Amino acid sequence: MNTKILWTLIKKELLDVFRDKKTVIMMLVVPIILYPLIFVGAMQVVAMISSNMEEQNYRIAVEAEDDGAFVHKLMEKSAENADAEEGDAYTLTVYDAWSMDSEPDFMAQLGEESIDVYVTGEVRDGKMEYDVYYLSSVTNSVYARDIVTDIFDDFRKEMTEEKIRQAGLDVHEILEPVVYETNDTASNEQSLGSIIGSILPFMLIVSLLMGTMYPAIDTTAGERERGTLETILTLPVTNRQLIVSKFITVASIGIISALLNILSMSGIAFYVYQIMDLETGTQSFDIIRFVPAILVCILSIFAFSLFISAVTMCVTSFAKSYKEANNYITPLMLAVMFIGYIGFIPNIEFTQTMAMVPVANICMLIKNILVFKIDYASIALVLLSNVAYAVIAILFLSRIYDSESILFGDGKGGVQLLEKRSNLKKGGVPTLSDVALVIALTIVLTLYAGSILQIKFGLAGVFGTQMILLLVPLFVVLYTKKDVFLTYGFVKTGVKGYIGGIFMILGLIMLNLVISVGLVYLFPDSAENVNTAFSAFWDNSIWESLLVIALAPAVCEEMLFRGMIFHSMKARYRISKAVIAVGVIFGLYHMSIVKFIPTGLLGIVLCYVVYKTGSIFPAMMMHFINNAFSVLISYYPQQIGEIFPIMMQETFSVSDILLLLGAGLILLGIGLLFLKNKQGMNNAKKSDKKETA
Amino acid sequence: MSDYRIKADHLVKTFTRNEKKNRKVDINAVDGISISVKEKEIVGILGPNGAGKTTLLRMLSKLMKPTSGMVSIRLGEKEISDDIEVKRHIGYLSNNTKLYGRLSCRELLQMLGVLYGMSETDTKEKIEEISKVLSMESFMDNRIEKLSTGQTQRASIARCLVHDPQVYIFDEPTLGLDILSSAAIVDFMKAERERGKTILYSTHYMEEAEYLCDRIIMIHQGRIISEGTPAQLKTRTGTENLRDVFRELIEREGIADEH
Repeated sequence: MNTKILWTLIKKELLDVFRDKKTVIMMLVVPIILYPLIFVGAMQVVAMISSNMEEQNYRIAVEAEDDGAFVHKLMEKSAENADAEEGDAYTLTVYDAWSMDSEPDFMAQLGEESIDVYVTGEVRDGKMEYDVYYLSSVTNSVYARDIVTDIFDDFRKEMTEEKIRQAGLDVHEILEPVVYETNDTASNEQSLGSIIGSILPFMLIVSLLMGTMYPAIDTTAGERERGTLETILTLPVTNRQLIVSKFITVASIGIISALLNILSMSGIAFYVYQIMDLETGTQSFDIIRFVPAILVCILSIFAFSLFISAVTMCVTSFAKSYKEANNYITPLMLAVMFIGYIGFIPNIEFTQTMAMVPVANICMLIKNILVFKIDYASIALVLLSNVAYAVIAILFLSRIYDSESILFGDGKGGVQLLEKRSNLKKGGVPTLSDVALVIALTIVLTLYAGSILQIKFGLAGVFGTQMILLLVPLFVVLYTKKDVFLTYGFVKTGVKGYIGGIFMILGLIMLNLVISVGLVYLFPDSAENVNTAFSAFWDNSIWESLLVIALAPAVCEEMLFRGMIFHSMKARYRISKAVIAVGVIFGLYHMSIVKFIPTGLLGIVLCYVVYKTGSIFPAMMMHFINNAFSVLISYYPQQIGEIFPIMMQETFSVSDILLLLGAGLILLGIGLLFLKNKQGMNNAKKSDKKETA
Repeated sequence: MSDYRIKADHLVKTFTRNEKKNRKVDINAVDGISISVKEKEIVGILGPNGAGKTTLLRMLSKLMKPTSGMVSIRLGEKEISDDIEVKRHIGYLSNNTKLYGRLSCRELLQMLGVLYGMSETDTKEKIEEISKVLSMESFMDNRIEKLSTGQTQRASIARCLVHDPQVYIFDEPTLGLDILSSAAIVDFMKAERERGKTILYSTHYMEEAEYLCDRIIMIHQGRIISEGTPAQLKTRTGTENLRDVFRELIEREGIADEH
């Protein structure tokens, strides 16, 4: 019964999707017609170029004080190549300035492209020195230059040999005292595999993505747009059945289109191979050796199509129309393609961690399997992790389909950044979707731009990274016309908030000291990395360090995490959830196991202070104190050690730990007392009044 | 009232809206409505826009889960309240229940038959029967996207009929239809009542409701403000027709709706 319902639903989805011309075109036309067309076109172009080459004539002007030696060489070369092999043949037209009556301006002629290369030569210090003028912007000029330089190389070699001979020495012995030869021991299959392995994963990923994209949009956003969603909800069918049927439909269309793509590509490859075989007759491959690789590829296609269908459907389910779904899917597509490029990068090691990274794992698996590096653990890990991610995505999808506000809602709270600006209302805080986008964007930017900046400019680069954290979110806030004061919590607060904040941050510093000691003990390797990274900035003055490491994050990170992210989460979730979520995000942002817990705790405490005071400023102050403290410790370890001997100890005794924990908790408690009365409410009201006024 | 076909007990539906400034406001779109409809009865739900009619009908047909309260139907001695089981006996039609344009009417109806758990032969027979009753023979195998408005509406009704439901729930079924098409729907509802079916429907057309309904339920801001036969309502408010009853009741509530 159950399978019958499921099968009927799948049949309906398939029928519905296949009667959509767009899907069919994407699925069939691209692999079956477009690829061969592109291939034939490329062959034509190659043929045209080679036929063009046959009649190629290069015009070379020479003005050299060498008694026509170089002109003579050119003539020889020209005669030599006039009837060279097909495609390589060319002739040279040589203008010798010495044998001409008039004195044409060859430099100007080169500019007008009426000659391709202009060579001058004069005797300086008893040696012939030539200058070759050419235009790098003109293809023929570049070819002609190559011919000329080749001649010079021959010329030089001849001259050298001549001189050596004249000196009565053995030419061979002098010029080639060491001889070497390179031998490729890779099997034909291996070299073929490495060529295919760099292209195939990307092709596969893109074709699966393209194949699943349309059906994913069609079965989710398309269904909403056409108004059939409510119809299907009237049926005695569970949401689970509905989602599973849609998912199976999308995934199977993805698989079909991927297989079609591969078939078409391998058809072309086979054709090319046949031609090569006929022409050269040397290369031969044992196709049987590729059978395991092909099997793994097919399994990968299945696993990846499950993954990518589930993920695209999650994204498109939020959209209420085709257009909106396209907007949502574009960033996903770019991200997948970006990660897919990993296949083209040589010498990346396929680690166990990599085997869990979606998209990258499939690329690396196929790449490795094609050069016969077969590791069953990795294969299993890649396939299983893809299936696991798909299952997680489907569970998420069924939550979406349980949410009435998404099914029946007007789709508010989506990504406003992609909507028309004139449609956006003024005021309020950014939507969660926008915030998610901002987090993704800033993380990518700080990862790439930030690390380049830091390597190139050191401390100034860190400052630049902080600016990214500040400016990207600020742009989104301003673009989506949000209330800057509300989003960032730029609200005045009483002195109590600051005093409470100082107590709390001092308490937290002590607690984190204890926690860090524990973590360093557990993960000694990553702790070392953290320390070396920090010491890289010691060359700078303490003031610079304080500015970049303490003040800038206090402002920029607070505005992003405790400002934008916290306030938009607060608008949607319960306060406890929002505070913890911001803590976790802040911890993850530091990208280190050792830092995760201390920074996460810091994030939670700062969030709590923002919540209680209603203002971001005490949190900024606290963040500054926290970071300034670590800067001071690294600059003045001795002085700090004299004031707080406990801070600088290498190892802690049990009593030390208890003392730190106790003092930390007491300080935190005192801080909490200061913040007992929530000041945010009054402030919020005040800012309300300001706006209505 | 124990003699009912479909019944709703204290239905409440709360929507959380994010008003300006991150303040959340809970709105009860449906605020404690109890309804009981017998077999062979047509009940009209009337109310201004935003009164909660659509939300109420969606909960009755189990498309939406109520925040609190319960919906159940009774077949003989059997009382059913499981979502999926209730759906088997309801034919729901609204302006948002569009049909799959790329399928033909026959394909759609056959698929629905399977999903409602009918045998293949039963479904075939039923389709023939519906096809005759709604005179759909000429376009039964055409794709739905190619049908005219009137034909599409007939196909929509056919969709509600396939599983021979005991209860029909229609949300503004005659909205935007021409006189002939809406008359066909009205006739259809009358005929189904004669066959012992229960019909609950919402409309903005007062004359139509007066002509068709055995009972009328007026709702405003998620609550029932009056209930009774058209005649009872008229005497209760001392007015001549349903249009005036409607206005009188809304005004009594003290809130003039801007619609």
